[in-house]
Amino acid sequence: MVQIVISSAGAGGLAEWVLMELQGEIEARYSTGLAGNLLGDLHYTTEGIPVLIVGHHILYGKIIHLEKPFAVLVKHSSGEQDCDELGRETGTRYLVTALIKNKILFKTRPKPIITNVPKKV
Amino acid sequence: MRRTREEVDATLQIAKLNPAELLPAVHCLAFGPGASGATAGDLCLLELEPALCQQLEAGHSLVIRGDKDEQAVLCSKNKTYDLKIADTSNMLLFIPGCKTPNQLKKEETHSNFIYTEIFGFSNNYWELRRCKPKLKKLKKLLMENTYEGPDSQKEKDSNRSKYTTEDLLDQIQASEEEIMTQLQVLNACEIEGYWRILEFDYEMKLLNHITELVDSESWSFSKVPLNICLQELGPLEPEEMIEHCLKCYGKKYIDEGEVYFELNADKICRATAQMLLQNAVKFNLAEFQEVWQQSVPEGMITRLDQLKGLALVDRHSRPEIIFLLKVDDLPEDNQERFNSLFSLREKWTEEDIAPYIQDLCGEKQTIGALLTKYSRSSMLNGVKVYNSRRPIS
Repeated sequence: MVQIVISSAGAGGLAEWVLMELQGEIEARYSTGLAGNLLGDLHYTTEGIPVLIVGHHILYGKIIHLEKPFAVLVKHSSGEQDCDELGRETGTRYLVTALIKNKILFKTRPKPIITNVPKKV
Repeated sequence: MRRTREEVDATLQIAKLNPAELLPAVHCLAFGPGASGATAGDLCLLELEPALCQQLEAGHSLVIRGDKDEQAVLCSKNKTYDLKIADTSNMLLFIPGCKTPNQLKKEETHSNFIYTEIFGFSNNYWELRRCKPKLKKLKKLLMENTYEGPDSQKEKDSNRSKYTTEDLLDQIQASEEEIMTQLQVLNACEIEGYWRILEFDYEMKLLNHITELVDSESWSFSKVPLNICLQELGPLEPEEMIEHCLKCYGKKYIDEGEVYFELNADKICRATAQMLLQNAVKFNLAEFQEVWQQSVPEGMITRLDQLKGLALVDRHSRPEIIFLLKVDDLPEDNQERFNSLFSLREKWTEEDIAPYIQDLCGEKQTIGALLTKYSRSSMLNGVKVYNSRRPIS
């Protein structure tokens, strides 16, 4: 039987993150992968409505407080030295890195930003 | 490569947004250099009940348990959940250090320009659903090697299977608290660090010693002194076993500094019935009731309702009969349980079937709801009876 432990960093030690849910998928130009790329700017209106600008698109969303929060788990695979006090291999385990209690949901289609016609010099 | 305030403001202008209608703070979102999709499996989202969230915040751990051929479950200290992956067509981004408008308004903003790195993304998350602990295996494991007393031949054989609490946690898909409760239900006993179930005959032998002593000392069943029991019976059986038997069949209390047990007549009558029934396939009901009453200690009264979930009466045969049918010998799964019950008897009254499905009821599920789902009802001679929804092969 397999037992996989999900452990948290300890009392009071958990960061709170935010979940952003986007309709569809974000893809990097030229399939270079998303790592290191800029996504866009997140603003809030004075009424608290989130506004996200991604490239030439603008999205309006809303903040949702999650009834069921999420935990972000990061997998730690067993290294050679990973043993518990009894000398058994501990194997894979998950570490709770953060908790998420709020979500920013953008469920409508993005609106294109129409740029001004360039001014004549 | 970092974006500047000027670039952000320029973008706002292009987007024709009025900065006066926005909060001054802006999050500039970028994927971190290590940001990867959860498909790689190193990263995942686990949806939690508020109670589980609190436990994690308090520093407690959760455990995923299951064999390769079992559906994985997640256990907290006291509850068990089915673990499933829920897919979504949306993209879920996890963003550290991102603030909600309320947080921004509350805090005195030190910086209006918040550069945030997206930690990772996913299009699925783990979903939990509270489920019944899968405890059937617990009895099966413990029945592999029942305890027959310290001097039995079995105890000299070191190759026989024995299980510590740790071993059981590793084998059973249930939380620690649920396992411990079930060990009590099974009358299991921790002997030299291993959990054991007493062989039924051995348990009966211990119980007999006790009831005989109660009789010869003319004690009341509601006030059996522990110390004298141990003194008198100690030479016959280990003291721990005598105390264990008293615990199984009675309730401990303290009166004027002395430990007493109040013996439970229903439990003793039930065990006596099991002893009588397990030696016969069927028993003539009238004869059984007579022998049973004669076999229990004087002063105890036998009643058929003490045998719920242990034995079944067939009132339609001539003569009427009773036979052993233990609920814990039946399958754990709902459909399989009903199949085996309906193959045993075609039509059941609610009164008869109730003890055999009671344990299947979930938190808010009633026996009636289970019967509606898994059976069909009809009237037979003015009595409502339940039969299978489909033919039983």
